[in-house]
Amino acid sequence: MPGGGWPTASLIEVLIGDNGLGEVQLFLPALAARQQAPSGEVPWLVWIAPPHEPYAPALAQQGIDLRRFLVVRPVSATEALWAAEQALNSGVCAAVFLWLKGTDDRWLRRLKLAAEASGALGVLFRPESHRFESSPANLRLLMTRGEHAVHLELLKVRGGRPGFVDLGPG
Amino acid sequence: MVRAKQSRTADLFAQEAPPPVPPPPVQAPPVPAPPRLRSLWYAAVFPGMHEVPEPEALSHLQRLARHAQRFTSLVSLEPPAALLLEIRGSLRLFGPPAALHARIDAGWEALGVRAQSAAAPSPLAALWLARAGERTLIEDAATLAGRLAGLPLACMAWDPKRLALLRALGVRRVGELLRLPRAGLARRLGPAALLEIDAALGRAPSPRRAFVACERLRERCDFEIEIVEVGALERALEPLIERCVSHLRARQAGVQALELRLRHRALPSTRLHLGFAGVTGDRRRLWGVFTERLSRLALVAPVRAAALLSGPLQILSGGCDEAAPLIERLRARLGESAVYGIRRIAEHRPEAAWRRVQELPGRFAAAAAADTVPADGDRVPRPVWLLREPLCLAADGTGTSPRDGWRLEQGPERIESGWWDGMGIARDYYVARHAEGARLWVFQERRSKHWYLHGVFA
Repeated sequence: MPGGGWPTASLIEVLIGDNGLGEVQLFLPALAARQQAPSGEVPWLVWIAPPHEPYAPALAQQGIDLRRFLVVRPVSATEALWAAEQALNSGVCAAVFLWLKGTDDRWLRRLKLAAEASGALGVLFRPESHRFESSPANLRLLMTRGEHAVHLELLKVRGGRPGFVDLGPG
Repeated sequence: MVRAKQSRTADLFAQEAPPPVPPPPVQAPPVPAPPRLRSLWYAAVFPGMHEVPEPEALSHLQRLARHAQRFTSLVSLEPPAALLLEIRGSLRLFGPPAALHARIDAGWEALGVRAQSAAAPSPLAALWLARAGERTLIEDAATLAGRLAGLPLACMAWDPKRLALLRALGVRRVGELLRLPRAGLARRLGPAALLEIDAALGRAPSPRRAFVACERLRERCDFEIEIVEVGALERALEPLIERCVSHLRARQAGVQALELRLRHRALPSTRLHLGFAGVTGDRRRLWGVFTERLSRLALVAPVRAAALLSGPLQILSGGCDEAAPLIERLRARLGESAVYGIRRIAEHRPEAAWRRVQELPGRFAAAAAADTVPADGDRVPRPVWLLREPLCLAADGTGTSPRDGWRLEQGPERIESGWWDGMGIARDYYVARHAEGARLWVFQERRSKHWYLHGVFA
């Protein structure tokens, strides 16, 4: 990334062809580092509408402090977006992850503003089919499976140029 | 200036018979006068309570506190097994201290509860005496040191480490402790211990927890005009919430849940549950949950009156997680069970190695410390997503052909466990790569040879 590492105070959109490309793994080391920063309080991580159960042993293995980890299961996309905005605005979260299928430009803009105002990292996971829509996200990534490696494409990036990265077979 | 400081320190560390304090130099800040002790504390310790399990013990204690409230308005819970009553203010009603003391004691007897009691000018002294089983009444604070001297150290209910340290120093009784040099005590036991000693002797204000009268909240208001619209209802209920907040503030108490009842003309009352992530009396948090619940409400009929009710008020425990307001809001709108935490469990069976937790935020942080201890299998990969049920990998249910569209990359990791509770498993786990690109966690059941998908490396 331009500047190195993940930007905070922004909304990142990750478009994925399929679950299981390592899309969460991309962020876990940064999340663990944020929680383990020696600055007093451990910030919260909030995952909203994940596609399966987040598996506690896997997260603990990677250094996530589960005492500050929250799963939210809303029944509708609107409630999921509302919950994400609440979490971003609360000021106690290091990161808010949201899994979403639909499109709602007005809501996404609100999430981006909330992330920028609170300094938290907002990550939105959506299916690849949304790639040709415009999005208010500060950073857009497309993850697909190539011949031998997972393929990461930067569709939109602030202070840098769109490009490709191959993440190797893992 | 330096000299002045020293003399003040010496005074603070003075023991049983403090040396006469020389008149302080002009520049020195005034030495705070010891608080005048006007109170008289009655302590009751209930030895039978130690056999009662934790949550019941507290409600038991609250029941006894409610009983004690007939003697005074200041009742303080001393969990796990004691109560403190300030009785100076009650003497006008109940006669001389000895008579009141006997009367409260008789109350426990009538309830069939075994109690040890004592009364003294400081709450801690009363507690220590009661714990030691000395049924006595001390009115003069000046005699406290002498009267406490003979008590065994155990009556202070200090933590075992501190007590062991003192035992190693040859200290067995409170009097021997009081004779130790204060500077050394402060160094070995910490300043908190000194403060406690001073508090017991009535030389320092006692850092008592808030007195919480064991009562419930019941606030009611009737509307002159029936209310038909939720927005208007929210405004009309504002004074009710305000009354509730000031009621709680006056008692330094909080609630973990409230029930809002809306009364209609013909239909039964509407009941709304307002749940909080911890004990609170905070205006903003009450309002946050309140407005969130109301925003989802569809009125079935016009509202004539409203009431707010609570269970027994609870002690405000000070430290509350800063995420509590967020969790409450989410729950108020999405439902209690839609917002949860996860913990890992030391267990070999993958599906049993975690659980959901509802008690949030980390109030039980200490109990969850196991989460930071590496479990076995920390070196072997675990997937971020776990499927609720392992998914059999062949449509016909035979699932015996693993090579269609995916290949094994890592493994096997053999997991065999649980034979003792009839839920035994015998599986070989692999990391597999699907042709579409996903990394999967699959296993082969060793007995049936069937293949299952159990997780996704997201």
